[in-house]
Parts: sequence; C-alpha cells; structure tokens
Amino acid sequence: MTSTVSAEGLSLHYGGTRALDDVSLRLTRGVTGLLGPNGAGKTTLLRVLATAVPADRGAFTVLGNDPGTARGRQEVRRRLGYLPQTPGFHPDFTAFEFVDYVAILKELTDRGARHREVRRVLDEVDLGDVRGKRIKKLSGGMRQRVALAASLIGDPGFLVLDEPTVGLDPEQRMRFRELIARAGEGRTVLLSTHQTEDVAMLCHRVVVMAGGRIRFDGTPAELTAVAAGRVWNSAERDPGAKAGWRTGTGSFRNVGHPPAGADLTDPTLEDGYLLTLDDAGVEVAAA
Amino acid sequence: MSAVMEAAPTATRKQSQNSWAAVIALALFEARRLLITIPVLLGFLVYAAWIVWRAQDYADGYPALQDADRATQGGPLLVGLAVLLAVNQAVLRSLRRDTERHFTVLVMSRAHRTAAHLLSVVPAALLTAVCVAGQFGWQALKPGALGHGSLGELLVGPLTVLAFGAAGVLIARVIRTPFTAPLVVVFFLFLFLLSTGAGIDEGWTRWLTPVIGVSSSNTLPSDLIGRPAAWHALYLAALGLTVALLAMLAGGGHRARSVYAGFAGALALTVLGAVAQGQGVSSEVTAARERATLHPEHVQTCVERDGSRYCAFPEWRGRTAEWARTVAEVRSLAGGTAHDQSLLVRQRLDARYGLDGDAALDPATTPHQVTVGTTWGGNRVPEFSAAVAGVLVTGDEKTTGELCDGRMVTIMWLALAGQSDPIGSLKNVRLDDSVSGSAIVLSQTNPLSMTAGQTTVVRKLLEQPRDGVAAKVRTNWTELTSPKVTTARVAELLGVKAKVGADKCN
Amino acid sequence: MRLSGALLVPVLRTLPWRALGAAGAVGLLIVSMARLSDAADEPLALNLLRAGVLAFTLGLAFVLDDPARHTTTPVPTRRPARHALRVALVAPVTAAWWTAAVLLVPDGIRPPVGDVTLEAGAAFTLALAASAAAVRFSQAAEPGQAVAGAVLTTAVLGLLLWPERWALFVATQDPKWAQAHDRWGMVLVGAVVVWGACGPEPLRRRVVLKPTRV
Repeated sequence: MTSTVSAEGLSLHYGGTRALDDVSLRLTRGVTGLLGPNGAGKTTLLRVLATAVPADRGAFTVLGNDPGTARGRQEVRRRLGYLPQTPGFHPDFTAFEFVDYVAILKELTDRGARHREVRRVLDEVDLGDVRGKRIKKLSGGMRQRVALAASLIGDPGFLVLDEPTVGLDPEQRMRFRELIARAGEGRTVLLSTHQTEDVAMLCHRVVVMAGGRIRFDGTPAELTAVAAGRVWNSAERDPGAKAGWRTGTGSFRNVGHPPAGADLTDPTLEDGYLLTLDDAGVEVAAA
Repeated sequence: MSAVMEAAPTATRKQSQNSWAAVIALALFEARRLLITIPVLLGFLVYAAWIVWRAQDYADGYPALQDADRATQGGPLLVGLAVLLAVNQAVLRSLRRDTERHFTVLVMSRAHRTAAHLLSVVPAALLTAVCVAGQFGWQALKPGALGHGSLGELLVGPLTVLAFGAAGVLIARVIRTPFTAPLVVVFFLFLFLLSTGAGIDEGWTRWLTPVIGVSSSNTLPSDLIGRPAAWHALYLAALGLTVALLAMLAGGGHRARSVYAGFAGALALTVLGAVAQGQGVSSEVTAARERATLHPEHVQTCVERDGSRYCAFPEWRGRTAEWARTVAEVRSLAGGTAHDQSLLVRQRLDARYGLDGDAALDPATTPHQVTVGTTWGGNRVPEFSAAVAGVLVTGDEKTTGELCDGRMVTIMWLALAGQSDPIGSLKNVRLDDSVSGSAIVLSQTNPLSMTAGQTTVVRKLLEQPRDGVAAKVRTNWTELTSPKVTTARVAELLGVKAKVGADKCN
Repeated sequence: MRLSGALLVPVLRTLPWRALGAAGAVGLLIVSMARLSDAADEPLALNLLRAGVLAFTLGLAFVLDDPARHTTTPVPTRRPARHALRVALVAPVTAAWWTAAVLLVPDGIRPPVGDVTLEAGAAFTLALAASAAAVRFSQAAEPGQAVAGAVLTTAVLGLLLWPERWALFVATQDPKWAQAHDRWGMVLVGAVVVWGACGPEPLRRRVVLKPTRV
C-alpha cells in the first residue's frame, strides 16, 4: 500500500533532552498504534506530525504535502485531525458551539455546510442528542468524544490521536475503539496509547518508541511474536524472569529468558511490548 | 488514494479569500458571544436606561440639535469599557482553557484569529451607533427641535466602543493574564468618568481623551460652537485603527508587511487628527462669535408679527411664532398703552467664550426691547414672559432689573397669569422653587428679586380668577405702573388683603 | 497552630502575587496622581483613593483562587482555616499597600483617614466575601476572574445607580458624610457575615424543590 505519511530522520531536542532521535516512519491507511512508556517521545512525535512544533532535523510529508513550507503546512493542516492529550474545552460553549468553533478555525466558511458537517461529526460520535448541552455539564467520556468530533471535522485524511482512551471506563473505551475503527476506514490514523488491548484490537500496525527512538515497527502479530517462547508459568517467582506476577490462579506468569523445560505459554501483545522495551535497554518494572 | 488527496491544491487567491471568509465567520461567532456576555449585556442595559433618563431630562426644554449630538457621548464610554473587558476575556479564553495547543494546528493562523477578535467588536459598535441614532433621533423628532447636529460628534460614541474593543484585544495579546483588563478598566474609569470636572486641562491634551465635556450649558448657533468634531472623530477612528493594528502585530501579524504599512499610516493619521483638533478655535469662528455677541443684528433675520419685531439667529427662525404667542398673551392682560405697545424681541447670547464659560447677559437699554435666549420650553417660557411684562411695565429691561417697588407684583402677575399652571410657573421661575418668602426670580438677563410681601400678593392674585384681576389691572394701570407705587398700595388697588411689609432694595 | 506553620510556606507560594502586585501597582499609580497633579484637591484625592481601592480590590478577588482545589478539598484541614490562612498572609500586604496609598496623598488634601479606611476595608472584605461565595456555590477552582468582573461591574453600577437615599459615595464636605460611613460600617458587617456564612463546606447539597405534577 502507498504510504500517506512518511518521515525521514526526525530529531528534536528540548534543552539537553533528546525527545526525538532520528525517527523515520511510513504510515499507510488504517490505524497505526504508537506504544511506549511515559517520556518515550510519543507526544513529541505526534506534535511534530501535527505541525504543532517543527523538528530540529529531518523532514516529513503528509498526503503529499511538505509542512516545511508555509503553504505546505497550511495544506497539511487542512487535511489533519488532531486530538491532543488532555484536550482543553471552553466549558461555557455547547458541544455544538465548540465543534463549530473548531470548524471555523479549520476555515469551513459556508455556514450551512459547516453546520451540517458539525452535526454529522457529532452524530458520528453519538453526541447528536446532547449537542445543545454546555460542555461543563457533560461527563468526562462525553467531553472526550466532543474532542474526537472536533478532530473529525472536515473529514481529515490524517488523524492524530494522543491517548484518547485515557480515563475512560471499559464501556466507554469499547465505544471509543469502535469510533476509532470507523474513523480508520479510508483514513490514516496514528493512535498513541498505553493500552496494549487498544492496539491489539484496532491496529493493523504498531510502532514502539522508547528514549526518542523507534524500537519496533511491524504488525501486532509480529510484536506478539517477539515474546514467542519467552513466556512461561511457574509455581514460584522465577528469579531469571524480566518481569513476573502472580496470576489469579495462584501460579506465576514470567516473561524473559525461560529456564530449560519451562512450562511455556502463549504470549500476548503486551508480552511482546515488554520484551521489546527490555531488549532496547529500558527498565521494565518487575511486579 | 483518498478523495482529499486527489483534490488539487487550489489557487492561492481563492484560498486567501477563503481564509478571510473564515475570519468573518469567526468574527460573527465571537461577536454573538460578546454581545451576550454579562458585562456587555449590563453595559447596554445601563446605557439604554441612561438614554431614557436623559430624554426625560430634556423634557422641559426644546432641544437644540447642536447640543443633543454631544449629549450622546457619555453613555457609550460604559459600553466601551464593558466591551474591552469581554473581548479581552474572549481572546484569553483559549489560553485559559488550554485549547491553544489544539487551535494552533488548525488552519486559521493566529494573526487571522486576532483579526477576527478585532472584528467581533464591530457589531457592538454598530449597536451603539443604533442607540446613538435613536437617542439623537428622539430629540430631533421632538416638536420644537432646531439646529444642526454634527456627524463628528455623533460618531464619537461608536468610535469609542471600537477603540476600547481594540484596546481589549491588544491587552490580551501583550499581557496574557486575566486580571490586566479589569485593572485597565479601573484606570480608564477613573480617567474618563470620575475625573470629569476635576482639573480639566485647557490645552490641546484634553482632546486626546475620547469624550470631551464642556463646562457651559450655553446653547450656541452651530457655526459658533468651534469644536473640532470632525478632526476628533478622525483622531478617534485612527487611534482605534492604530491600536487594532498594534494588536495585529502583537497577535501574529508581524510577518505581513501590509500590517506595518497600515500601522504607520494609522499612526500618522492619529497624529494628524491630534494636532488638527488641538489647534484651538479658528480666527473666523472667533470673529463670528464676537459679531454674534456684540452685533447680533448683522447676522439675524427679523420678522414682523402683530406689530412687533422678532429678530432671531437663522437656526431659531422657526421659534418666533412661539415667542409671539407668549408676547400676545402678556400684552392681552396689560392695560393702557402697553396693551398695544409694539416690542422688539431680539435673541441675544454671549458666545465669546464658546462653550467654556457662562457669561450673564447685560439687560438691554433700548426702550421696548426684550431679550430672548437660545433655549426654550419649560422654565424658559415664564422667564421670557416675565421679561416681556417687565418691559411693558417699566419701558426697558435695565429699569426692570433695578426695580424694587410695587410694580413687581404687576410684572409677575402679567408674566404668570397666562401660563397653564401659574402657581407652578411661579415656583419654577424662583431660584429656590418656593411660593412664599423673598426670592430671586430667574431671567434671561439680570435676575429680579421679590420680597415676601410681593410673593404673597402675587400668589393670592394668581389664585383668583384671571379675568377679574385683569379688569382691575386695566382699570388701575397708570397707578400700578407708576415708579413710586408701593406693594401695599398695589395690594389695595387689586383687592388683596395681606400683610405686606415695606419695599426694600438690596 | 503547628499545622498553620507547616502550611505557611506552601500557601505563601500559591497566593496570586502577580495579580496582587499588578493591582497594587495600578492602585498606587492612580493614587499617585494626587501628588503629581497641581490641581489636586480633596474631592479629587478622595476619588483617586477610591479608584485605587477598587484596583486593589480586583487583585484581592483572586486571593481564594486555588488551582488545586479539587485535590485540596478532601483534606482534614477545614476550608475556613485554609481561607483564613490565605487572608492572614495577604492582610499585612494589604495594610502596607493601604498605608502607602494614604501616605501618597499630600497632607493638606487627605480625606479623613479613619473613614476612608472603613470604606477600603468594606470594599476589600466585600471582594473576599464574593470570592468565598463563588467557592461555596460553584465548583470552580479559580473563580477570581469572574469575581473580579462581578466586583468591577458592581462598583461601576453602584457608582452610577446607587440610590441617593442610601448614599455611600459622598464627598467629604457633604453633610451626609457621617451617615454614609455608618452605612459603610453596615456594608463591612454584611460582608463579614456573608463571608462567615460561605466559609464552611456544606455537608449536604440543598435540593431545590421542584413542583411535582399531579
């Protein structure tokens, strides 16, 4: 499949910290998951790709436009949907007003068409019934959906979602996954998350970052496969394990280098993620 | 390939049109919110109440439009301050609510958003303009309204709102804290509202504030006012534009050369307006003021009505009929030769100090000449009829002013008996609004004074049927108007039983 | 007492010093005109002091702002204690500012200090009472801006519309001066009462009774 977003050698420094270190990336249509511990540079990468901050070095194109030029950046912004981490709201606005406001800032000028579009995205995130309510009266999950609706305005070709499922309850998270999956049909979606289940259920591709670098880039199955033969059960905590925890059944589940003759078990995506980080030299918290 | 990708990049011109259309859309959105914020709503509410109250205030006088235009300027200050506060909060909203991070990656640039906030003030200014037009129109449509309003004076209100709104955006773009605007409002409030009257600067600097009050209640012909109204409107408009473009420079527009050029141009216009308006009164106006003050006959036109001449400044020509009606009323009650005495009613004013000072007019010394001022209606009517009665009784205004004998009773009765509410009018023409005791009686020229005895007699006469008293006045006219008649004798002649003290002069 | 000692430094750091500083500076700037202007007389000095007080009052409206309100609410230290500590820390600053403001007015044209101080105290307490009410009746963590706006609007409307019968803003020469300051005293007492009533955290929400349909 042709790549819609491609980045070459992106680097960004904050003072002495390397937030991004020579990141190269190609995204295609569908949902790509971005995993990584806190401070891995996920948000920085998303902000660079969303044209919020320019990179120190490197270049990228979004849907054929180069955001390095003023006109190119405008073109990118016309085709971009961005849901920031902890998005702000104007609590005195109604959901409709807020999304309408964003639509105006996206330069949707025809009033009738804009209002239709605002109603469409609000319906798309199932907020059609409460669009006249002030945001301060909405629950956290509803607010998050308002933010998603705002990012869907104008049918963007490239959608950047920064931890959209944080703080949602399981049911809301399920709904959100459904929405993101729907949004990923025909679009390029880059989804940053801490939830490996999100990636497992939504993404056709997953990128793992740590320390400002990309440590893994492949399909979820490939990431799971990293842990093949490296997960086992034992009666006691295995001292050789990188991480291990007592499961509900009473036995220990260990991740790492199994001793000979260990009771190997099927790995999950999370196991693969943990071992990828471990291979990259990132401290993995042992429970 | 998605449909979005296939869309070819549109021409730059079309896109820039599109972004300006988006600026307008955002300006409309912000304007709607601005008009329903609490400070602006309250501001307009108080402003509307102020307009109604001012209209009531005018009710006892016929408005001169060259005064009514200036009277529209104070209220918009309040609206302007409210707009400053509200637009400032609107600009800071995205920072305060942490949506700035999101909005910076949207298509519209910060400069365009600043422009939209600046434009969002325009509807509030237009609404102010409607209020100003309503207030002025209300006066202009009143029967008896005369003179000419000045567009420059009328524009001050809306332009003030615009300039204050631009200041609100500028403050938000320069200092990003929410408490700055309220403090600036306090400062302006003091500067423009509380300090009026205290230490008004006489020099050119007083014209730098948006609304310049006057220290006089004179009504002058519009060509003698000599206020640089048009220049001041230009100054205010240019000042607002300068502040707005400064806000654009501070709000992301510093890359566009056109903004710098516009800023320089607006600044130059502001300086031009400030200098031009501070030039003081031109020599032509000064000369015209002197002429109108010292030789009014050179600029007035006269009309003949019922044998009397009425000379008025051109703008007051329509009012001679009203004066004639008052004169006819007073004359019909008088006896002797006064009944058919022809008078010269001349409008006089002292315009030499413009609107900066009130100078009392000297009474006319010419026999049978009555002075009428530039205001009319309410208390001015009995004041004028008192002057007419005085001239009919004594022969000229100067003598009336010096009079302190029983003729005062006749004068006051003649002046007031024809009024629809004689006792009320008596109250109104007296300085202390009393109907007993001694008091000063207001007049267009020198004031008259009534003793307590004269007041009692006049009041009792006014309480009697008019025709009965009129007959007695005509019968005894010669004695009533003879210079040596005492108040006690007048009371006796007119059949009033009252304790009347000796006449005394002060 | 030890608790207050421990809280002292953190609270000192969370107080809105920038707002207070800006408000104080603008206030002093306004009052300093009494010294700088040649034409200053007692009525002008009184107006300047009142405008200065209004400016500082706007700063005080931010004193009860606590961005961490939702974290600091469920702690054993009660809200009145926390608020009192904030106010106690601001009080000396306020006193110092007021002294400076009064001293800025030249001797000859200074209005009666005691009476003007009563006006200032009433205005300051009113702002704090308004903030306390905003905290009590809303969930806003930083009601300062809204309170400042309300205080400003009230002041402007009060100046313009306050009925003559209960005049508050009188000139020094006015025979109603003493009477007006009795009223200022009542305003002060009223503000203290409101503040006291709004201080404690409510134990239960009051349910507004809605008319039931039959």
